[in-house]
Amino acid sequence: MENQNVQRLPAEQLFQKEIDGLIANEKNPVPTGWRMSPKSVLTYICGGESGGMEITPKYIGHRRLVEIAISTLVTDRALLLIGEPGTAKSWLSEHLAAAINGDSTRVIQGTAGTTEEQIRYSWNYAMLIAEGPSKRAMIPSPIYRAMEQGAIARVEEISRCASEVQDALISILSEKRISVPELGIEVPAQKGFSVIATANTRDKGVNEMSAALKRRFNIVVLPSPESLESEMEIVNTRIAQLAGSLDLNAKLPGDEVVEKVCTIFRELRAGATLDGRQKIKPTTGVLSTAEAISLLANSMALAGSFGDGEITAQDLAAGLQGAIVKEDSKDKKAWEEYLENIMKKRGSRWLPLYEQCRELNQ
Amino acid sequence: MTAPHVFGIRHLSPAGAWYVREYLDEADPELVLIEGPSDFTELIEDLGGSQVKPPVAVMAYTQELPVRTILYPFSVYSPEYQAILWAREHGCKCRFCDLPSDVFLGISGSREMRRQQAAGMTGETEGRISEKNGREPGEGFEEPDESACGGLGKEKRKTDMRAQEESVYDRLDRISEDQDHETFWERTIEHAADFEGYVRGAASFGQSLRELTLAAVTLSGREKSEEQRLEDAENLLREAYMRGEIKKAVEEGIPPEKIVVITGAFHVAGILGTGAFQDETEDYVDWLKEEGVVLSEKEQKRLPRLETRKTLMPYSYYRLSERSGYGSGNRAPAYYELLWKGLCLGKPDYAANRYLTSLAVFQRKHGNMASSAQVIEAMRLARSLAELRGYGIPALKDLRDGAVTCMGHGNFSEIVLAAADTEIGTVIGSLPKGVSQTSIQTDFYRKLEELRLERYKSLTADRLSLDLREKLTVKSRKSAFLDLERSFFLHQLRVLHIRFATLEGSRQEKATWAENWTLQWTPEAEIQIVEAVLKGDTVEQAAGFELKTRIEENDSISSIAAVVEEACYCGIPKAMELAVSALQKSAVDAASITELADTAMSLSVVIRYGDIRKLDRTPLLPLLSQLFLRACLILAEECICDDQAAGNVGRAMNLLNDVVVNHEFLDEKRWIRVLSKIASRDDLNTRLSGLAAAVLLERGQMVSEELGREVERRLSRGVPAELGAGWFEGLSMKNHYALIARMTLWEKLSDYLDTLSEEEFKRALVFLRRAFADFSAEEKDRIAENMGEIWQMNPEQVSEVLNGGIDLSEESDLTEEAGQQGDAAGAEILEGLEDFDFDDL
Repeated sequence: MENQNVQRLPAEQLFQKEIDGLIANEKNPVPTGWRMSPKSVLTYICGGESGGMEITPKYIGHRRLVEIAISTLVTDRALLLIGEPGTAKSWLSEHLAAAINGDSTRVIQGTAGTTEEQIRYSWNYAMLIAEGPSKRAMIPSPIYRAMEQGAIARVEEISRCASEVQDALISILSEKRISVPELGIEVPAQKGFSVIATANTRDKGVNEMSAALKRRFNIVVLPSPESLESEMEIVNTRIAQLAGSLDLNAKLPGDEVVEKVCTIFRELRAGATLDGRQKIKPTTGVLSTAEAISLLANSMALAGSFGDGEITAQDLAAGLQGAIVKEDSKDKKAWEEYLENIMKKRGSRWLPLYEQCRELNQ
Repeated sequence: MTAPHVFGIRHLSPAGAWYVREYLDEADPELVLIEGPSDFTELIEDLGGSQVKPPVAVMAYTQELPVRTILYPFSVYSPEYQAILWAREHGCKCRFCDLPSDVFLGISGSREMRRQQAAGMTGETEGRISEKNGREPGEGFEEPDESACGGLGKEKRKTDMRAQEESVYDRLDRISEDQDHETFWERTIEHAADFEGYVRGAASFGQSLRELTLAAVTLSGREKSEEQRLEDAENLLREAYMRGEIKKAVEEGIPPEKIVVITGAFHVAGILGTGAFQDETEDYVDWLKEEGVVLSEKEQKRLPRLETRKTLMPYSYYRLSERSGYGSGNRAPAYYELLWKGLCLGKPDYAANRYLTSLAVFQRKHGNMASSAQVIEAMRLARSLAELRGYGIPALKDLRDGAVTCMGHGNFSEIVLAAADTEIGTVIGSLPKGVSQTSIQTDFYRKLEELRLERYKSLTADRLSLDLREKLTVKSRKSAFLDLERSFFLHQLRVLHIRFATLEGSRQEKATWAENWTLQWTPEAEIQIVEAVLKGDTVEQAAGFELKTRIEENDSISSIAAVVEEACYCGIPKAMELAVSALQKSAVDAASITELADTAMSLSVVIRYGDIRKLDRTPLLPLLSQLFLRACLILAEECICDDQAAGNVGRAMNLLNDVVVNHEFLDEKRWIRVLSKIASRDDLNTRLSGLAAAVLLERGQMVSEELGREVERRLSRGVPAELGAGWFEGLSMKNHYALIARMTLWEKLSDYLDTLSEEEFKRALVFLRRAFADFSAEEKDRIAENMGEIWQMNPEQVSEVLNGGIDLSEESDLTEEAGQQGDAAGAEILEGLEDFDFDDL
């Protein structure tokens, strides 16, 4: 396939088989504009089995939240996924769109520079000047297209957009139509149209969302993974998928490695050891599950390119150092405290990692 | 078909309550038998009364220690309650048919004993009041079997030995779609579309439960434990008893088909003897006559029994939800009541609509925004969540999630108060006056009347001032001591933690004859009074029991002395005697000076108060002497301590002095000797020595010259500054006026300061500042006068400095002025004083 060399395939292509399988085995009523029933969407995202085919879980833990998200879209309300960085907001939004429409590419990537035109429509100015306003000269936005097709549009990082840009969404979401005064037309949304937006609660430089806009969304807060086990499961699944697409010439990290990384991340995130007995000074960084995943991928790349393909304590230590100690010198101290107070006392299983980390942190 | 009709229910189930009436209409029985201790039958009359407002509960309790209780709560949506109402409306007989409460408690008692023996324990180790958890609300009567039905409200029991075993309910939690048996119940049974659906749902539930527990050979692949086998035995016993009750009714001449048994779904098969018949054609009544089907009289006699009493009591939704933990249908009593209303109105979506609008109303009332649009969106989301599972009506879980998403911006914390209010609610039941009151309630109301306190039983707070002295103007003894009796009574309630009366601090300190109370009635207080019946039959007895318990639980003498004090306030001589003898026993043990002082003070108060409270205090006198002697013996040694401990010892010294002053029978001379010793010894904490001197001074046991000598000695050159100043601090802790009046003292102090080097002065300053912190502005003025006189300065100027509030220029002026007067030392002192006063004023 020509797509083989794409760095990252969209979800609907990556999991095309599963989506096709679910559609083929559909037993429940399918809402207008959807490709499968809400139940099948749930199966697609949380994993399960359909017509003898195993569906891999895409989002692990908090099944109820996924149910709420899907139900929201059934009621044609817009969905807002909020959470700390790395809690799989965009991941979930992409897969929801992929399962519901088979197309997760109608997306607006919100930045501080996003303009209102990108939300509504803009013009091909050469043609606009040559022909005057015409349908041909108009460039519809992803939301515009989604309305026409009765599909789902995604807005990533909505809180990074300036507030006037956010405001443009308000009337679209309440009236469900876009008017184009230049052409004297009005485009009503077809059944099935909805918006999935994601927003970050922790990053700096984020515009507060207005209450009016928030009211137009059903809000689902995505938490960090509940337990060490579910976090390990997430990491394992994602690493396996990444390793395939990134051609990392390394073995997948063993359970022990994943467990160590997740333990360290969880403990630093929570500010306490897993058993809750000891307090830990937390670091300034977020240390999300996504970071744990990229850390391990990074370690695998190190091992694959410069080592024998197996992740060593040294590879891991380098990754940890980079992920935990960001620019802040406080992080370095917190990490050192963690190493000396917690990791050192964990016994021989942790000793190699401890030594490597200590060396790097000096 | 000659078998009785058995209707399987789930307790506290609105659908059950609704369909049970339909079932009864259909069956048209002559007798309704309800699962519940058969000796509760006599309460049915009261329970069904039209003035009864549920939730109410029936409680049985043992009178012997340890007190064991069982509790059967009824709410308006209890099927049992509705069955009772139905029977009353249709003039039909109605009885409870389970084992009598005395047997229930007897069994629970002997099982407990077994458990303790198994655990190698002897004697009563558990609380003095133990509840028979098996019959708690929620686990109530339907789920007899603990291990089996444990989950339906039995989270509490997981603490004991069955903790490791996975109950059927845990399994249901694990495998049901919602991962929650409560929601499973609500979806499958409470939202049953019709009568048929409910009956089938309940039946298959009961049957499966039975198959998985009682009838199963192993549980979760393991052998049944001893505990579980006992549990099974208890269930079989109960069913045999219930069959016996049916047999009795049949023998009375009621045809079996005219009998309806309302029981937990679990027991249906047991009562009907499903599968137990010898052949298909055998008649039910004949079967009952077989040996072993019902309990013989001999067998009944062999059952363990504990003598019990029983009572009806008002109950609250809060308690329903609280007691059950996970509780079967009690987790959200107010929501379940909405379900019940919905059934009554014939509107299946009533509860859902009402729930969300109530949330919104609550939010608005408390200043949060909640628009109708949000309510509508929440409703739509809840519906779509239910549909995702294939149900038409949203369950509580769906509604709550819908509300969180649409009204709470995704955070449960934003609507948590509203949810608590809407799900649990504040409903408190009530019983008409005079309806099977407990002895303690009767006593309470009698007392209210007798003490003319009835008008205070209102929901608004009222103040009540009592004058405990004998009223000489009235004739009868009763009215002469009315206020005293009231005080006793209110103190007893206070000791029992019954929220009716609160004691306010008296404005006139140490006015032992005056008390101010605030009285406010709450329905909760009624429940607390009923619960106090476990401690005694009258308020006084219960308070006595409570005090006795406190004596047994405490071993420090000061806490026992506090009980003596309480007993005195409550006017319970017996409790006081007990406390005094307990105190005597532990007074022999070593105790710290602060402990001794606190104890002595408590006793002293009692001895003083006792007079006005008409109590015999003679046994206290020798005890106080004994404690006082001990305190005198150890006080001096206790004075060897650091400054931190000195605070406590100083307080003790003051308390003891108070005690001596108030009681002539104490050895005052010895006290003076001890104080003199402390005042003169050099190896003790100087602050305490100073304080001792102050006490002596106050009591006129130290003449001026002696004080002068002592000041000179303590504040002489060579004595480290902190010791000297510390002593002065101790000295100035008391009788400021006497000190101020003694000019020599201030002269000495001035001289002393002159001798200090700058370094020493700075250190001394710390203590002096502390010493003067307690003086009032007026007192400082007078010190200033003294100092001014000594330094030959204008008293007003000094006072101004002392009392602060001057600006910098003035300050330098002053210093200059002082300098001009050529009194360098005076200036220095001025600076110092001004220093310390800036902070203290």
